[in-house]
Amino acid sequence: MAAEDLPSEFDVVILGTGLAESVVAAACSRVGQRVLHLDRRSYYASNWASFTFNGLLTWIQQLQEESQPKEVPDWSSQLEEGEELIYLSSSDSSASICNLQVFCYTSEEDEEEQAPDTTEEETVRAADEDAVQEVSEAESAETREEEERRGADKGQAAQTAGEEPEAESHPHAAPSQSEPAKKKLSYAQLVKEGRRFNIDLVSKLMYSRGSLVDLLIKSNVSRYAEFKNVTRILTYRHGNVEQVPCSRADVFASRQLSVVEKRKLMRFLTSCVEETEEQTAYNGRPYLDFLCDQQLGENLQHFVLHSIAMVTADTPTEEGLASTRQFLRCLGRYGNTPFLFPVYGLGEIPQCFCRMCAVFGGIYCLRHSVHCLLVDKHTNRCKAVIDSRGQRISCSHFVAEASYVGAERKKVATPTRFLSRAVLITDSSVLASDSEQQVSVVTVPPIAAGCPAVKMVELCPSTMTCIPGTYLVHLTCQSIGSAYQDLSPLVTRMFRTVESHDKAETRPAVLWCLYFNMADGSGTEVEGHDLPSNVYVCSGPDGSLGHEHTIKQAEFIFHKILPDEEFCPPAPNPEDIIYDGETTAATGDTQEEEQSPQKQEEEETKEEEETKEEEETKEETKEEEHLQTEE
Amino acid sequence: MSMEDYDYLFKIVLIGNAGVGKTCLVRRFTQGLFPPGQGATIGVDFMIKTVEIKGEKVKLQIWDTAGQERFRSITQSYYRSANALILTYDITCEDSFRCLPEWLREIEQYANNQVVTILVGNKIDLAEKREVLRQRAEDFADAQSMLYLETSAKESDNVEKLFLDLACELIREAKQNKLDNNDTAPMPGEGKTISYLSCCSLN
Repeated sequence: MAAEDLPSEFDVVILGTGLAESVVAAACSRVGQRVLHLDRRSYYASNWASFTFNGLLTWIQQLQEESQPKEVPDWSSQLEEGEELIYLSSSDSSASICNLQVFCYTSEEDEEEQAPDTTEEETVRAADEDAVQEVSEAESAETREEEERRGADKGQAAQTAGEEPEAESHPHAAPSQSEPAKKKLSYAQLVKEGRRFNIDLVSKLMYSRGSLVDLLIKSNVSRYAEFKNVTRILTYRHGNVEQVPCSRADVFASRQLSVVEKRKLMRFLTSCVEETEEQTAYNGRPYLDFLCDQQLGENLQHFVLHSIAMVTADTPTEEGLASTRQFLRCLGRYGNTPFLFPVYGLGEIPQCFCRMCAVFGGIYCLRHSVHCLLVDKHTNRCKAVIDSRGQRISCSHFVAEASYVGAERKKVATPTRFLSRAVLITDSSVLASDSEQQVSVVTVPPIAAGCPAVKMVELCPSTMTCIPGTYLVHLTCQSIGSAYQDLSPLVTRMFRTVESHDKAETRPAVLWCLYFNMADGSGTEVEGHDLPSNVYVCSGPDGSLGHEHTIKQAEFIFHKILPDEEFCPPAPNPEDIIYDGETTAATGDTQEEEQSPQKQEEEETKEEEETKEEEETKEETKEEEHLQTEE
Repeated sequence: MSMEDYDYLFKIVLIGNAGVGKTCLVRRFTQGLFPPGQGATIGVDFMIKTVEIKGEKVKLQIWDTAGQERFRSITQSYYRSANALILTYDITCEDSFRCLPEWLREIEQYANNQVVTILVGNKIDLAEKREVLRQRAEDFADAQSMLYLETSAKESDNVEKLFLDLACELIREAKQNKLDNNDTAPMPGEGKTISYLSCCSLN
């Protein structure tokens, strides 16, 4: 396509297409700001992206190959009087992603193409060889990364040290095991069907009354996506996966709980909703103490602490209660659990906001970046940017994702915090049930003291994130060591891999898995960096299950830019826009532009009513369904 | 917007290079206008037209690119859940024809497997400036098993036919596959509170 030049004047230039940046883009464009939204990557959503299987393999390869930062041309000739240059960071995601390790536990070739009399042992051996090969690949990349890292951050290098011997050891630890009756999907099949995977780099869920869902509804961005209910909440305890009863129907239907426990749990949850003096007396003390004193018993304590509040034993009571309340508040809005998941993966959500921005005139350009900012020396404001083609683009505000800002200018929490992530493609669910189409969240308390609590999300094919016959499992925790160190012990326990030992047959087999660390976005602030006053920094994804931090940040930035404007007012419903044919044809552009906001306002009210009606009907049906389940 | 208004609802998505006349086709079909005028598309997500085919009411929801094709930056989510794609090029612009394979790659990557794709050569009113011969485009469409049509949004040639043909094809497919409509997926929306706990505390 012809390389067209970008316009040279905007109100807001935004760099990076992660969730926070995309929400800011949509919000600014929606109220009439001229927005230019760029990303140096070839895909949307930055570290919030989801990839097809093949896309993910390319992403991994690119990170492993990433060379030295490219040399940025000297743009000082573009300087006008009274201006100075600030160069942005030119390296790619390498700063935010590290410790990539890939393991393949399934045979390389399609088994169907092999001779029918292939012995089972051979297949197993083939799988092992794959693992060896992949490990060595991953290791070399890791070593390279470690070297780079050592220069920049000695602490992090120390963290990754001591990993290599372990990684080397597992090929030998491979036990001989008999193949199950079910035929494993081969690596070749995963690649062949690769486009039907949508593998998220971030694993989060949407609280049904959380700020993201509220924003999607309020802005009408929800029309660009579809959502599925998370159907089960599970927990891992005493080596088993159990279902956590959380709705009233669940509690009464539960076979794990005694009648006394059921009553106790309902009484406790009901009492949580309102703040009482008894509760405030525990402020500052661990939530576990509070729960103990409620005489819930060990079962219920576990459920409430780990699966409902999703906190750890030492979390203060007020925080634990707040999380418990948030969970309860979100129950039953759409389904049996407090959570929704977007069909095709979380990577859709930033794109939906980008679409909204574009619909209101925002200009989009991927594979395009900003090299430097032109700053007015007197006012300390960014007047313009110079893009990766050397074009000067003026702007009144500049928003960038944290990874574009050089470390020397950034104020971040030290030491840099990371998240540990694992992505597994498995052949069955961690908890078999009548339905194969379950979307489950599994809370895993720390295996031992000092180990992190792990959040696990298991997605089924109906979420359009994996192919039939597979499940996509995401594991996330705050990192202590590398992602492999933090998460592989749990993977080995809960799933069947070559490292698993006895009694593994009943567990889901891991076909393929990826470990990596991602910078934890919760350590980055919007302001307070060594940057001009009209430059705002968006943090990357954080480790929490919901999206509260990011949405709050986007709204904060929006109000910094436009203190008097409404944040994401509803976009008009296209079905309600009445076009006056004659006028539109006869008048010039300017007049039409003046007309449209007025039209929109008229429609907004009408539309709100309609949405409400619609949703109410939906909710009623839902409620009926629940009544049925309760019986 | 009650459900009884129509028998079928189809989402049709337009793609193709900038400037080939995608918006003009939509506006001509839905409003009978040409040219559409720039400002009017700001804030308009998709256009709606309900047509009747053999006694059945078919509601067509027609989505435009919102300008994201200008710098080849269309979101993947744009292709999701489209029932039909209208891949448009300009018969007076060789370059817009040469980009078609690139567009097909995007379709293959992100669109639904069962999506109906139609290739449209627009601007036949500018016959004297034609750069892409009809036969060449037909051969290309055949090879990719796409339908092919030439249109003029300006003269309103074949525009009606384009959308009606698509609607017919979609109905045919829908009847064949009994189209599993995905309307079980919940959409976030403002609704009544049905908290289990509030139910419970009433007991």
